[in-house]
Amino acid sequence: MSFLNSLKISASGLASQRTRMNAISSNLANVNTTRTPEGGPYRRKDAVFETTDVSEIFGDVFQDKVNKNFQGVKVSEISEDPRAIKLEYNPTHPDANEEGYVALPDINFIKEMVDLMEAKRSYQANVTAIQTAREMALKALEIGR
Amino acid sequence: MINRTLFDNTINALNTSMNFRMMNQDVIASNIANADTPGYKAKKLDFETQLKVAMNVDGSHSMKADDKRHFVTANGGIKDVRGNVYFDPRMNIRNDLNSVDIDAEMAEQAENEFLYNAAAQIISKKLALLKYAVTDSGL
Repeated sequence: MSFLNSLKISASGLASQRTRMNAISSNLANVNTTRTPEGGPYRRKDAVFETTDVSEIFGDVFQDKVNKNFQGVKVSEISEDPRAIKLEYNPTHPDANEEGYVALPDINFIKEMVDLMEAKRSYQANVTAIQTAREMALKALEIGR
Repeated sequence: MINRTLFDNTINALNTSMNFRMMNQDVIASNIANADTPGYKAKKLDFETQLKVAMNVDGSHSMKADDKRHFVTANGGIKDVRGNVYFDPRMNIRNDLNSVDIDAEMAEQAENEFLYNAAAQIISKKLALLKYAVTDSGL
């Protein structure tokens, strides 16, 4: 029974949560951004998670050890909501439209902070899972010592 | 073939238990990694019931399946115990249809690790006893 599988699953969790944290940090940093290369204000980004076979992540295609019961996670896409803008009346702003409204990103601080705390908690849980798997394997080495 | 002289039933049961506990760690790690995935349903592994049945059976008379469609249950003894991975029937499903309760998973993981370590220690002690009996202990 390979314990490396457990490490790969937890590592995929760590990587996905880190990507999610990057998306949240990007949202928090761009709260007032009105200009983007694609035109228009910054759109709120969100990481979409999807279960995946762990062997797919690490290119382990030669070994037919794919067991559907143990699946890791991956970020399938970073989605942007094109409707996530709010209009603010500020006619002196250089990006204001004809009626004097500026399109700003619709980013709620509280929601982003809560998402950040959740991502941190999931990250810590995955770290604990890795440590547990490692300790179990080390304990097995002590048999017969 | 179980070697009845050196490794008794207890060591075989502990060995099976340790293998399945390692598999259980995989299941729990999978649940924890997918704690935020929409639509993911938490899984659990059960092998204790089959192991308990197998412990009461004399493993030297194992029943073989004649037809490929027949299941070989734990009536074959400890070496035929198969784990059963099933969807956790708990009902607290969140808005994104994810049913993983991360606190329960952490507690399950701690218990799993403890039982794995306990089994490893018991095997160590039994082997130490054998070693003591085999070596020249000064008698």
